[in-house]
Amino acid sequence: MIVSSFRVTKFAFQNFWRNFWLSVITVSMLVMTLITINILLVLNVVTEEAISLVEDRIEVSVYFHDYVDEATVGGAVEYLRDLAQVRDVETISADEAYEQFVERHSDDEDIMASLDELGGNPFGPTLVVKANSAEDFELIIDALDNPQFRDDIREKDFSDYQEIVDRIRGTTDQIATFGIALTGIFLLIAIMIVFNTVRIGIFIHREEIGIMRLVGASNWFIKAPFHLEMMFLSLLAVGIAAGIVFPVVNILEPKFSVYFGTQGAGIAEFFMENGLWIFGGQFLILAVVTIISTSMAMRKYLKV
Amino acid sequence: MIRLKKVSKTYHPNVVGVKGVSLHIPAGEFVSIVGKSGTGKSTLAKLLFAEERPSSGVIEIGGWDITHIHNRDIPLLRRQIGVVFQDFKLLPQKTVYENVAFALQVGGAKPRRIREVVPKVLEIVGLHEKASRYPRQLSGGEQQRVAIARALVHSPKVLVADEPTGNLDTLNTREIVDLLQKINEFGTTVCLVTHDREVVNRLKRRVITLEDGKVASDVEQGRYKL
Repeated sequence: MIVSSFRVTKFAFQNFWRNFWLSVITVSMLVMTLITINILLVLNVVTEEAISLVEDRIEVSVYFHDYVDEATVGGAVEYLRDLAQVRDVETISADEAYEQFVERHSDDEDIMASLDELGGNPFGPTLVVKANSAEDFELIIDALDNPQFRDDIREKDFSDYQEIVDRIRGTTDQIATFGIALTGIFLLIAIMIVFNTVRIGIFIHREEIGIMRLVGASNWFIKAPFHLEMMFLSLLAVGIAAGIVFPVVNILEPKFSVYFGTQGAGIAEFFMENGLWIFGGQFLILAVVTIISTSMAMRKYLKV
Repeated sequence: MIRLKKVSKTYHPNVVGVKGVSLHIPAGEFVSIVGKSGTGKSTLAKLLFAEERPSSGVIEIGGWDITHIHNRDIPLLRRQIGVVFQDFKLLPQKTVYENVAFALQVGGAKPRRIREVVPKVLEIVGLHEKASRYPRQLSGGEQQRVAIARALVHSPKVLVADEPTGNLDTLNTREIVDLLQKINEFGTTVCLVTHDREVVNRLKRRVITLEDGKVASDVEQGRYKL
């Protein structure tokens, strides 16, 4: 069995070299398919990062009346923290709010004069509420209508980021749909090219195959080199795709930091951490596709 | 031992290859199957090594009923039946040694066995000194001897030779027939399909004559009668 496996491997490599340009075309098509899949993966990572970045900036500012005492504010904080949708609640006391206001407007004489005229601190305590995701804000806003402290709240300030998130998702979903369609087309072309490569391989080796059959080669021995050759081409395609994807994401990563800050979009990290699974999975999918395609070609053209 | 019972082979739509052929060829016999072109000689040969399946009847080789042989069992049969053709069917990019070794390689033989067997069969066919030559560097007779050597590597019980001298001159034809006789003397059953009168008459062995796909005559120590 070991000897036969070695010979099958040898014949598979012979097939590869004898049909070198055909092998190049097949590998190129497989690489294009894999690159498209990986672009989709990059897009997915970037989208998730962008959405998470936007969501991270979303907050609801809850302004209490200046007469509201700390205990009531504390009760509101406790209440909000108990909500599953709330990620964090920051409390700004009336004095802190006053200091922050003065600091912000110290250059504006008119505002500072108006503040002096009011005499004392006109600000009440403020809560800055962060949610787990953009969808959660509506619930948090509703929760703040709780009769327990509804009348203590002077104002709720909430910028509607949901629309931004929806727009990001909408755009990326459209790109993803296009990418999936493109992957499907490339995959179909790849299947046809693999089919054709095997067909031509059988045609080129028809004499050799005929002699193999004549002298008692098993069906496995005749078929296996074609399967192995396609496996090898799939592995080569995955290797080339990985060889392109890794440097490209490393080049792209700093460019994304313009939008995502110093931490970047995390695509290089994503591929480093999951590279084995990503490319291993892609090889498995490609292997299954090429096995099916090769089997179809052999069933049609290789009469053993 | 080869036994055929009322074997017929009909090709689509209604072309008769052989019809109702019944034969018994004992082990170690040398049989010439003769007949005009299109009388079913090659069809009969193909039925023997399961290249074709009979439309009806029964074929047994060495007690093995191969009438409905499964595809996966054909390689086993082919390792027991050596086959030689008119067009030699050698691989041009392989040397004489490699062509012969190829039959063992694809059968899963170990390198050691290949190193033992190939020189021996090349010696039998008289080509041990030309082992490193390519088919194009050999005469037709020598190429056919390579094909015979390749057919012998599995030590087959039966050798089916389908018009092995069809492409050869008289001298080479004699050499090939002598070689087939030598192989037969070692105990291998030889089925020689030919339309060469000289060959058949010189052999003076059993002759089965086919006409229109049927056995017209079956004579011990026969002659070419058509």
